[in-house]
Amino acid sequence: MRIALVGNQNSGKTSLFNALTGAHQKVGNWPGVTIERKEGRIKGSKHTLIDLPGIYSLSPYSPEEEVSRQYAVEEKPDIIINIIDVTSLERSLYLTTQLLELDCKVIIALNMSDLLDKKGIKIDSKALEEALHTTVVEVSALKGTGIDKLIKIINENQVLDNVHLPIYATDIEKSIKKIEAELEGSHQRFVAVKLLERDPRYQKSATDLDQQLIKEIEEKYGLDTEEIIANQRYDFITELRKKVCTFGPRKVTITDRLDKVFLNKFAALPIFAAIMFLIYFLAVGVVGSATVGWIEELMEGLSEWVSGALENGGASEWSISLVVDGVIAGVGAILSFVPQLIILFLCICLLETTGYMSRITFFLDRLFRKIGLSGKALIPFIVGTGCSVPGVMAARAIENAEEKKMTVILTPFIPCSAKLPIIALFAGHFFGPNSGIVSASLYFFAVIVIILLAYLLRKFVFKGENSSYISELPEYKLPNFKYLFRDVSEKTLAFIKRAGTIILLCSIVIWVLLSFNWKFEYGVEVADSILASIGNALAWLFYPMIGHWSWEATVSAVQGLVAKEQVVSSMAIIAGLSEDVTEGHLILAEGGAFGYFNSVSAYAFMVFNLFSAPCFGALGAMKRELGGTKAMLKAAFFQTGIAWVLAILVFLVGSLLTGGF
Amino acid sequence: MRERRRQRRRLRKGERGHLIDLQKGQVAKVLGLHNDSAAVRRRLFDMGITSGVEIKIKKIAPLGDPIDIELRGYELCIRKKDMETIDIEVIE
Repeated sequence: MRIALVGNQNSGKTSLFNALTGAHQKVGNWPGVTIERKEGRIKGSKHTLIDLPGIYSLSPYSPEEEVSRQYAVEEKPDIIINIIDVTSLERSLYLTTQLLELDCKVIIALNMSDLLDKKGIKIDSKALEEALHTTVVEVSALKGTGIDKLIKIINENQVLDNVHLPIYATDIEKSIKKIEAELEGSHQRFVAVKLLERDPRYQKSATDLDQQLIKEIEEKYGLDTEEIIANQRYDFITELRKKVCTFGPRKVTITDRLDKVFLNKFAALPIFAAIMFLIYFLAVGVVGSATVGWIEELMEGLSEWVSGALENGGASEWSISLVVDGVIAGVGAILSFVPQLIILFLCICLLETTGYMSRITFFLDRLFRKIGLSGKALIPFIVGTGCSVPGVMAARAIENAEEKKMTVILTPFIPCSAKLPIIALFAGHFFGPNSGIVSASLYFFAVIVIILLAYLLRKFVFKGENSSYISELPEYKLPNFKYLFRDVSEKTLAFIKRAGTIILLCSIVIWVLLSFNWKFEYGVEVADSILASIGNALAWLFYPMIGHWSWEATVSAVQGLVAKEQVVSSMAIIAGLSEDVTEGHLILAEGGAFGYFNSVSAYAFMVFNLFSAPCFGALGAMKRELGGTKAMLKAAFFQTGIAWVLAILVFLVGSLLTGGF
Repeated sequence: MRERRRQRRRLRKGERGHLIDLQKGQVAKVLGLHNDSAAVRRRLFDMGITSGVEIKIKKIAPLGDPIDIELRGYELCIRKKDMETIDIEVIE
């Protein structure tokens, strides 16, 4: 059987999906975490479970919601599990009443939240089951209670038949019946209601009879049918809720208290800035400086030991160089940044799961609307601090097409985790004790550039309408430590895995290109190598931002397209091979291949790598969201152009200020 | 992007106006809504803003907009622009 999981945004669908299938899909505490449908198998059965993006109604508002409507209506799952967050019962039941109009069995999974007791809400699930004539199961997706019962009901197919409960006033029900009588095929009641509502999706099949019925109803009520249907649906639900659910006395919740601080008129923005500053300060400044020393020693020891062992084993000179100068230097340079990344991933996961992220979109909406973006663009930007790929994809939840495109183009500007090694390398070397402040400054630099560019893009390129901002504000939640641990370790492992695959492969290729000349003779000076000649052809592009003719920096920056951390890996290999005597792995050592960098050119070079076209993975995501290769290439050239101009500006202004000329 | 700011009126119990006029601490009943955008209007219905529903102002964003309202036991953020399109009557 195919079973679809349908429910409101942020109702815990993915948590339930993970509980039912044992999968580890991403969860978060903001509306719209899931943007694509995901499939899994229910534990101990052959049933396929499909997790769908959250919807509030079967008349979708944004493109990712259409995915859910389309699946529930057109792909006819055998059972729909409708997950309901009991703390917003009425709004959830609005969707339920629509699902019950489909020709499909519906199980209601009442997601019992811990907040329930705190809010003093009591709910009678038996009464709900009787009133709606459909199976109701109490579950807790987070604690895992009720899951076995739900699986048992599915396996034994003990699901009540959908009786198409009448919920509207008698005259409306009569009209629905009349329209139904004309229809063929499935979901007749659902389609009849849609025709009555004048849903644009069904307008093609509207008949004269429908028009006649609509006219009669609208004259009688003095409202349009869309409003009448919505009113009566909610009237039915309000009555139902009174029967099955009682509220205790209202108390001031923890969420209200926290919002007094986090949404305070004067403190909200400073708190947000402080949090973002702290993330980078902690990752690069505190943790980075603490670990960089002993990791360098570790790498040095490792390469000495390996080269000694290989020499003793009689390995040839070139194979030792490949392993030590290529693989260990390249991959090792990346792995030394794992501690910083763990902190970054941890902080992002906290932002995502506690509910603070929804607050950010709420209080920055005003500012972002001024520059032509919705507050919801903040979600891609913050998810993008981890990785641009999910960041770009998160833009899908933005309803307005123009705002979405702008968000997709601007999201890669946010320093992602793969850019962190570049920042940590330069900031650590040139700014020492201030490295945390410098890396945070790059984040805020990116934010300022995004704001300026959004304003300009809106003024000159994307001139369309502004969208609305209608979003629920979820309650704060304590992070689930099990999930936190898994999420951070998964992301960290993915980074390490990339170092062992793509970066390893690139390191070998770079070593080959550095060790051979065009005649394929081994052992040439690096300056005569294939890579050097490629770099020299493009070095003019980078001259104005680093003040030095450097094929080394050129080829390294270009490799950022493969993966941003590859920039660091390439620099490590070049620096290592350029040395006559290997003096550890200090990439930016004075007198070495990159010895000409100073704090100004370092900052400029960081800026270029930050803003230039993202890696291929992110470009692929941009292509999907922008709807084509051409649009993606345009965006990539735009980003690289901006990066180039900004880097040169930084270099010029910085040099003037420090008297470098 | 230019915005027209309507003067807010202070409403007393039993008076009618728009949701934008509602003060913190007051409770209102929705009478209807007339948004220019069909999609936004539909969305507001779907989120539970239908005739008769009771609404309270819960939180105001630090920059003054959007506004977090409470209805049907949950909190919804909407912009002032859309609040102007919701007709209400103050009941408390």
